Order: sequence, then structure tokens, then C-alpha cells
Amino acid sequence: MRIIPRSLMPLYAAIAFLFCAASAAALEIRLAYVGSTDGSAWLGVLQGQHEANIQGRFLDQNYVVEAMTREALEQADPQPAAIVAAGDASALRSLSEAMPGVAVFNVTAGDDALRQACTTNLLHVLPSDAMRSDAVAQWLQKNPEADVEAWAWHPKFVKYAARDLNKRFLKVQGVPMDDDGWAGWAAVRMVAEAVIRTQSTEPSALLAFMKSEIAFDGQKGVPHTFRDTGQLRQRLLIVEGGKLAGEAPVRGVADTTDLDSLGVPSCQP
Amino acid sequence: MRPVAFAMLVFVALAVGTVAAEPTYRAFVTNERGDSISVIDSRTNEVEATIDVGDRPRGIGFSPDRAYVYVALGQENAIGVIDTRTLEVVKKVSAGSDPEAFAVHPNGNIYLSNEDANLATALNPDSGEILAEIPVGIEPEGVGVSPDGSRVMVTSESTFMVHVITVPDHEVVANILVGARPREVTFSADGKLAYVTSEISGQVSKIDVAANAVVQQVKLDIPKAKPKGVVVSPDQKTLYVSTGSANMIAALNADTLELLGSVKVGRRVWGIALTRDGSRLYTCDGVSNTVSVVDTASLTVAATIEVGEAPWGVVIDD
Repeated sequence: MRIIPRSLMPLYAAIAFLFCAASAAALEIRLAYVGSTDGSAWLGVLQGQHEANIQGRFLDQNYVVEAMTREALEQADPQPAAIVAAGDASALRSLSEAMPGVAVFNVTAGDDALRQACTTNLLHVLPSDAMRSDAVAQWLQKNPEADVEAWAWHPKFVKYAARDLNKRFLKVQGVPMDDDGWAGWAAVRMVAEAVIRTQSTEPSALLAFMKSEIAFDGQKGVPHTFRDTGQLRQRLLIVEGGKLAGEAPVRGVADTTDLDSLGVPSCQP
Repeated sequence: MRPVAFAMLVFVALAVGTVAAEPTYRAFVTNERGDSISVIDSRTNEVEATIDVGDRPRGIGFSPDRAYVYVALGQENAIGVIDTRTLEVVKKVSAGSDPEAFAVHPNGNIYLSNEDANLATALNPDSGEILAEIPVGIEPEGVGVSPDGSRVMVTSESTFMVHVITVPDHEVVANILVGARPREVTFSADGKLAYVTSEISGQVSKIDVAANAVVQQVKLDIPKAKPKGVVVSPDQKTLYVSTGSANMIAALNADTLELLGSVKVGRRVWGIALTRDGSRLYTCDGVSNTVSVVDTASLTVAATIEVGEAPWGVVIDD
């Protein structure tokens, strides 16, 4: 049994008619990537595409992520289902304004001001700078002498199903998964989940689903949802001297599932 | 072990298993980090033996005649075979990469998930022959076989699907979407329904087997519940669900999925098994290193048993 979006049934019928094929061609979902293809954010995007296509095999869907310039993106017709962008805060802000109604995933910038701008279509996959500093502050309440950082991901993280994600990223991409790699991976997987759950490829429908309904499994043991600021709620990892030391929210300081104990939880003052 | 000696052992064990109808009343528990099996006498709830079985035991199940206990050994890429009566590890059968969970078909074949290979494998544990490798989604985990043996369901955790595989042709005929991180799937005794737990979404889904469709889905009304283990009572009226780090067992109306009650057990409860009469539920409390015995009529803990490190799964020969 194949799951075919009802809105696309005429399309499938047309394809079947044209090619007299016994089975319909896969539905193609196009995503755009704007940014450097040298960094690990791009590797994460490639891993996300690889996994979305393993999933897509069972649902007759094919995901294509195309790296393109901002200029090419603005002329793309039809628009991509969603955009993954690596860049600084001002580039992301202006890109999101140029593409209203299309989800733009920020997979590199931690700026708090960019979150508090509360744009309609920017989705911040990486933790904000404030989330990281709050995670460190929670840790220091219990370990005042520690010298730690807060990361979104760690290549030696094994709890929950992190072991599995680290293993397959290393196997396919040939390098360990880091913060930007996790963010790129998560962005593409979230788009695929939105397509599957909404049975739509309309950019605005996917954006609406992600902002209000998604409960994404980022393999950190909690469902991930978005704040009204566009920030992805998530656990952070406490790292000391490059080694994994713990998780935040920090047990004993905050409720470990109270993800809004990190950073600014809302657009409301 | 020489082949002839092994064949004799199998013959004797089979003969014993077939002739002796009397069960051993043993509960077998895999200890994932202890690399062992704790054997509990379910009449006294005392640990009567601990078996060094191999590296990272997780999934556990019986052969149809209950002469053998099968154990998935993830780090050995094998299924360990234990004699239910002598408690000897009689052999290890190659099972493909990283076997995690499995179910035994009425014909004796084992259907297992290869967690890091996106495959389900059909294995004949007697001959060691791999009968089929079936591509499924990412991080396949829970496996259920319908009582009539006509179909197998496999969950894929990172692609949140239940793959429906027909037997004997081993075709994937449906992919049913469920909540994030589906962990286990089990059939009702009449085979008409299947139940799936989704750990990250916190949901339990009821599947109409003939329609290959989810007909009901609820989020467990227990704070921080991460549904994992799921079993159906013999009368098909009650569903028991383990909730991971919420440390509770939930009892649900199997028809409406309404929460009937809950009971606190040990920490990070995963694998569960009912006695044949449905009166007691054994739970693997992974962080407490205990097995709790729940009296299902009163939903209270009747006994707490120390086992090995990180208990994962349990089956009962009663």
C-alpha cells in the first residue's frame, strides 16, 4: 500500500497515463541549501537527504537538496519546499524576508537578536547563545569549579539513540557528527516528517506544521518542538575539555524535561 | 562442540521438550550490560541461576515448543540458543549485523531486526540458514508475528513506521505511519489487532491488521511517559505498557485505549511479560537492576528481584 497525498492523486494518475507504467514515479520534493558546501552543515544536510530517501522509498517520495546561490534561489520556479541556510545573522534575516511563506532553517547562527526578531519563517535548529550560556550556568550551580561549554551534539554521545545516529553519520559521511552536522541533518529530516504527516509539499503548509505541530525525534531523548521565536527546543550537552560531562537542563537544578529553562522561551517580554 | 555430539544434544533436548509438557516456571531476563541471563523461579521469585550468555543481550524469546530460549546478542551479531531445562548455551547462530529484537514464528523461524543495517532478517535457528533479508526503515526495532503466522510487523524507530511483511513471500505490503520512535509491536491473541508503542511521541497506537491502518492513537496520560514494552492480557481486554523513565506500568482498556490505572515499579522500565494466566506481570527495571512482579488484579508490586546489570527483556515459561 502506498501513501499518496490526496491532492496529488490527479498528478499520479496523469503520470501513470503518460507512461502506462505499472507503478507511479516517486513524488519529488526539492529543498534548497544556501551556504558553504565545505562545512559540516552541508554534510548534515546530505545525511538528512540520505535518510529522508531511505524513508521515502517506502512512501514513493524522493528528496533532492540542491545547493544554490541566493540569486538562483530567488528565481527558482516552483519555490523549494523549504530552505536550509548556513550564514551569518544578517544574511539569514534578509534571506527569510526574500522568501516569505517558505521555512528557512538556520543551521549555523546562534545570535539571540535573530530569535527575538520573531520572524514568520526563520526556524533556528541550533541552540541560541543564551541557551548555551544558561546550560553552562545550570551546570556551574552544581559544579562551581568546572570549565565547561554547551554543545548541541557530541560525536561520543550514546544515550537515547544518539549512538545510532553518530554511527551512521560517521559511516556515510566519513567524519564525526558535530553541532552544525546535527542541525543540517535535523532540518532535512523535519521537512521530510512535515511532508509525510501533512501529505503536502506546499511550503506554507510545511512551515505551519513545523511551527505548531511537529514533535521531532532529534535522537536526544525528547520530542523537539519550536518556540514562537522559531527556536527549536532541545537538550544541550555539557562538554568539559572536549569530553561529554552531562546534559542540560541539569538534573537537580532544573526539571530535565523543562527545555524552556534554557534561553528566552517566547517572543512575549 | 562436535557436530555429532551437538546433533545428539538437540535430539535429546527436543525429545525432552516435546515429551515433558510440564513447564519449568522459569522467567528468563536479559541483562544488557551484565552480558548475562538471570533465571528466576516464578513460583518463588528467587533467582536460581545466572547464565553468561555473551555480548549485549537484548531481545529474548522461546522456540514454539519452549525447549529453547533465544537471545539476541547485539555485539556478537548472533542469536544465542539456551536449553530451557539444562540452562546451557548450546550454540550461537549468525544473525546479521547488530540483532536487537525478534519474534519467533509458529513454524520456528526467527524474525529479527538488524538495528544498524535497516534490515529485518528471517533466520532458521536450527540450520542457521538466513532465509531472507528484508529492507526496512532506519533503526528497525520491535518485531511482532501474527498468531496465524501470515504476517510480520517491524517498527523502524527513526522513520516512525510499522512495516508489514507477508510470510512466506517476505514482501513489504504496507508501511503504517505512527508516532515518533516506535519501539514495540504486539498482536492481540485473535490476530485482528496490533498495538504499537512510540517512545518519543508518548503514544500507543492500535492497528486494524486487516486494513493495515491505525484506528486509534492515544498519548499516555502519565507525566514523562516513554512507552516501550506492550503486552495484551489473555482475555484481550487489558493492555500493559511500560513507560521507561516514568518508572510506571500503565494498564489500558485494550478496546478504547483508556488509561485504567498505573503502578510504580523500578527505574527505566522496558521489557515486560505476563504469566500465562495474566495474573502477574514481570518488568525489567533497567536502571534499578531489578525485576518487579506486578499483581495485575490489584496493580501493586508483589515482589522486587535483584538481577544483573541493565535488565532489558523477559519471557516466562509457565
